[in-house]
Amino acid sequence: MTVAAMAGRVSGRASSPADPTFGGVGHPHARLLAGPSEADGAETLDAHLERLGAVPVHRRAGELIEVLRLSGLEGRGGAGFPVADKVAAAIGAGGPCTVVVNASESEPASRKDRTLLRARPHLVLDGAALLAEATESSDVVVQTHRGDSESRAVLRAAIAEREHSGWDPVPVRLSVGPDRFVAGESSAVVAFLEGRPARPRPGPPAAVSGVHGRPTLVQNVETLAHVALIARFGPDWFRSAGGPGSPGSVLVTVAGDVARPGAVLEVWDPTPLGRIVTSCALPGDGTIDGSGPATGAAVLLGGYGGAWAPLADVWALPVDREALRRVGLPLGCGLVGVLSAHACGLRETARLLGYLAAESAGQCGPCALGLPELADRVRALAGSSSSRAAVRRMLQRTDAIVGRGACAHPDGAVHLLESALEVFADDVHRHLRRGSCAGARRPAAFPVPEPGQGWR
Amino acid sequence: MTTRVAVDLSRCRGHGICSLLLAARIDLDDWGFPIVDQLPLDADLLEQRARRAIAACPRKALSLRDD
Repeated sequence: MTVAAMAGRVSGRASSPADPTFGGVGHPHARLLAGPSEADGAETLDAHLERLGAVPVHRRAGELIEVLRLSGLEGRGGAGFPVADKVAAAIGAGGPCTVVVNASESEPASRKDRTLLRARPHLVLDGAALLAEATESSDVVVQTHRGDSESRAVLRAAIAEREHSGWDPVPVRLSVGPDRFVAGESSAVVAFLEGRPARPRPGPPAAVSGVHGRPTLVQNVETLAHVALIARFGPDWFRSAGGPGSPGSVLVTVAGDVARPGAVLEVWDPTPLGRIVTSCALPGDGTIDGSGPATGAAVLLGGYGGAWAPLADVWALPVDREALRRVGLPLGCGLVGVLSAHACGLRETARLLGYLAAESAGQCGPCALGLPELADRVRALAGSSSSRAAVRRMLQRTDAIVGRGACAHPDGAVHLLESALEVFADDVHRHLRRGSCAGARRPAAFPVPEPGQGWR
Repeated sequence: MTTRVAVDLSRCRGHGICSLLLAARIDLDDWGFPIVDQLPLDADLLEQRARRAIAACPRKALSLRDD
């Protein structure tokens, strides 16, 4: 048994209860998603305390850092930065600190943070309270996207419960930011909390110099939930799940050509990607063939700024940040996007790049001008109006974009494109010779929201 | 200690004045945004020109970085 499944956008289980591979909610190995079904709504403070006991909040700063260091916990927002180092940097910077619960889950296909937050708000808030205590913070802010009113309703109720019981060492407040892809980037969150537009900015990390120059710990929702469990059950318990290079269980969202896009799974031991895809595939949809991968099927790993890989190549690879990193693939926000062999990877990439281009903050020229240009060229390639020379020019262009942004947004878009040209190389040749394909007329496999409006 | 020029592309709007004043270290890409050569400003003359380029930038996007 390897994976606990939890419903995402659609109610129900990610796999049939008869499937012996999946335990579902409440499975004995589940951690973040242990406990009652998400169908019952947010777990109350009483139920949370009864199930897990009180969190040991009165640890001295050094103690919690040591526990986190031993646990090996890495941030789950995408970058995978060691949490202990970040907390140590914030404490080392001196002065009053602010803890930010970063609930602005921006990846359009990812659901894991809001799924966890809406079902287990107290686990997340426990983690924030622990870090607030360890860093002697004066406040905790929960940053949400404007469109995510459902999570805010859950949070309001949870915060009221905690205020009533005097549970938190410092006040917790909600902040509502714009529905923009890059607005969840930590420097953009900091800018927004200073009253400025929610756009990324260059400079020292937020942990050292964040909101109004104060050290600011911006932590992802899943990361904080792990902190709450590590504080209760210890680093050894934490490390008993996951791989040695990236310990602990991990939440993934399955999306694309699957039975229930948006389903969230908790993976607690090095589970092969093929097993995850098999569990959520639509039979006869060109993703699986018998008990193996369908020829031509692909996966999008890590997010829209992640990377494509042939499904066959990653079939036996574990869902493990370190193991994927070794073969040059990102786990990022935990997105496992499945693309059927019947779909056109170039068309899909054109859609994703169009979205990423529209979501550039428009500050850095190479990103603001370069991404729309790349998106146009891939769109032409996905149609029938490209040429070998145009593809070559597009590839040359990427050098002028990578590494030149205030954030990693342009780099992610370029990496997505480069992986697409490699993974869908046969399609590139076919499109150049014979024009667009039937797959290009399939509806989008991944959600491509309208670009957001404004930055406040 | 070596001194180099650094550019903040989130401020830059591609006026290109820096490249005119410090051609030895700053080139422009096809869009007109600076590509800064990371070689140190090893001569006094170069550092003097770099300071002029920094002062001339209408967006205050250039700075000197010591490391």
